[in-house]
Amino acid sequence: MKKAAIRFILSGTLLATGPVLAAAPTAAQTPSEILEIIDDVDRMMQGASSAGSMRMEIDTEHWSRSLEMQVWSLGTDYSLIRVQSPAREAGTATLKVENEVWNYLPRADRTIKIPPSMMLGSWMGSHVTNDDLVKESRLVEDYDIVISYEGDRDGEDVWEFTMTPRPEAPVIWGRIEQRIRKRDRMPLWARYYDDDGTLARTMTFSDIRTMGGRTVPTRIAIEPADGEERTVITYVEIEFDVGLDEDFFSLRNLRARQ
Amino acid sequence: MNRGTRDIWWRMAWRNLWRNRRRTFLTASALSFGFVAASLMMGLMNGMMEEMVSNGTEVVTGQIQIHAQAYRPERSIHDTMGGREGLDVGALVAVAEAQEGVTGVAPRLYGGGLVSSGDETVGAVLMGVDPEREPRVSRFASVFVEGRMPGPDEVAVGAALADKIGIAVGDEAVLVAPAADGSTANGLFTVSGIYRLDLGGFDDSYALLEMGTLQDFLVMDRGRIHEVAISVDRVRAADPVAERVAVAVAGLSPGLVTEPWSVFLGQLYFVVSLASAMNSVVAFMIFGMAIFGVANTMLLATFERRREFAVARALGTSGVALGRIVVYEGLLLGVVALAAGAALAFPLLAHVHANPIDLSAFVGTYSFMGSAIRPQLTVEYSFQEPLVSAVALLGTGVVSALLPAWRVARLPPADVLADR
Repeated sequence: MKKAAIRFILSGTLLATGPVLAAAPTAAQTPSEILEIIDDVDRMMQGASSAGSMRMEIDTEHWSRSLEMQVWSLGTDYSLIRVQSPAREAGTATLKVENEVWNYLPRADRTIKIPPSMMLGSWMGSHVTNDDLVKESRLVEDYDIVISYEGDRDGEDVWEFTMTPRPEAPVIWGRIEQRIRKRDRMPLWARYYDDDGTLARTMTFSDIRTMGGRTVPTRIAIEPADGEERTVITYVEIEFDVGLDEDFFSLRNLRARQ
Repeated sequence: MNRGTRDIWWRMAWRNLWRNRRRTFLTASALSFGFVAASLMMGLMNGMMEEMVSNGTEVVTGQIQIHAQAYRPERSIHDTMGGREGLDVGALVAVAEAQEGVTGVAPRLYGGGLVSSGDETVGAVLMGVDPEREPRVSRFASVFVEGRMPGPDEVAVGAALADKIGIAVGDEAVLVAPAADGSTANGLFTVSGIYRLDLGGFDDSYALLEMGTLQDFLVMDRGRIHEVAISVDRVRAADPVAERVAVAVAGLSPGLVTEPWSVFLGQLYFVVSLASAMNSVVAFMIFGMAIFGVANTMLLATFERRREFAVARALGTSGVALGRIVVYEGLLLGVVALAAGAALAFPLLAHVHANPIDLSAFVGTYSFMGSAIRPQLTVEYSFQEPLVSAVALLGTGVVSALLPAWRVARLPPADVLADR
């Protein structure tokens, strides 16, 4: 029950974590050893719900900003994220249900569904896309996964997975690599490559510690390969098994100011 | 050779020309017709190109644009003219407007975002415009099917976009966009009007807002704009105007790039240049065919006169001098044909220019490289093409005469006179 928090922090971006891999039960091309790891995590994750808060710090070439957010999640399919500060944007909220993303815009007091053509757009100005939010449950369906390295790296016993997209998979990456620490199955990093094999972005997991009774990486940095920009998501607090059901993740709750 | 003897060759050539009036008339007619045909085809081609360039530049882009050096190709919202501090937009517009040949100057701001109504949301380019100035550069203001250009807190959208999300004039539309400070701008705007440019992307993915409204929305200062679009009085002569504007605005802010349409619509310029080159090919083909016909006629004409040439040779005239007469004949034939051709061609071109040939019964309006092309043939005047035709025509006269002249010059007088 260690990795629950991660899914909820960023939904789809954290592919190395249990929930990410857990969602798809079939993966014909992926070796059984990997599936066992996934299954293991899957059992731990079943029906997990969580509630917490996080800080997202975004540094770009042109501006830097920090957002405080409340986050709720249920399994891999449901999440709700609401901005608390800065005040100007308080109330702005994102609801993810399976493959769809809605945003609530407090100034306009309207809810809009992100159209498919805009899924690759930035989420809240960060280096996370809307697509990242929804893609998690499809990773095992869309990619063939092999263990490309197993053994010692920097004094840690690790696996390194290499994911290559299946021929018809609707994905934007040419390849994804990730390193996972064996002893607690914590992700250390994930690297995303373009179709032509150049590194596009890196996701680094750190500050792994116990929060809400589980071990989680509490800091996740997303860095595009070009330039000095980055988004850092830091966990402030989290509780697990908080008793949320699917009804909580409704458009009505998306709008509710709390 | 004194002046008198030189003149005599010309005079002889001229008289020879009119010894068989009918034949000369027919030959000259062929050349005249070639000239008329070439002029008309080039004129029509120019008319088509003019139409393409006009439509390509008058609908949205203008003929000259100014940007910050870094703005393209990424078109980042942050790369405003004058950098992050922006510049004095009023001064820039005034300086550009003061340049000779400039007929309109329109500042613009762009942002990418979402336009939403009810359950429907689409991605759109948010374009901030000055409703007073924009009509002098683009056609937006004149193609409203309903309503008008946007005022403060209003938005005007293309017809296809309005259809897609189901909004009408007076409705409220939600706009969402990443603002310059990184926040997510969102707000409600009243739809002031719906336009239809009949030009792909502009109708289904553009939303116009009043400049100040969009600047506020995107959290940008009044001095920050991405583009200044400029219209000129003569579309095909935008390059020198662009140079003048570039020099004039250079002092206002560093890093400004001023470009004529031939640069920022490079594809269109390429096609137009290709068409100009095609014009020369057309002239070459028309007169190339004429050369053989005229040469044949002149061979015949000189063959008829071979005894006369033989006598002249026998009396001591050099072969070169005789050949020269024939070349002069060819040249004079060209001059006559040119005079007749010009007399025919220019009224014809003027007529088509005033009354374009309507082909709408055969083809519909076609959009090509951002340029809507109407199905009509019109003629555009130019200096260059008639000049090319004229030179080609005279050249045809001379070249046609070379073979006959060479044969005349090599005529063996004794054999000819003896009928051997």
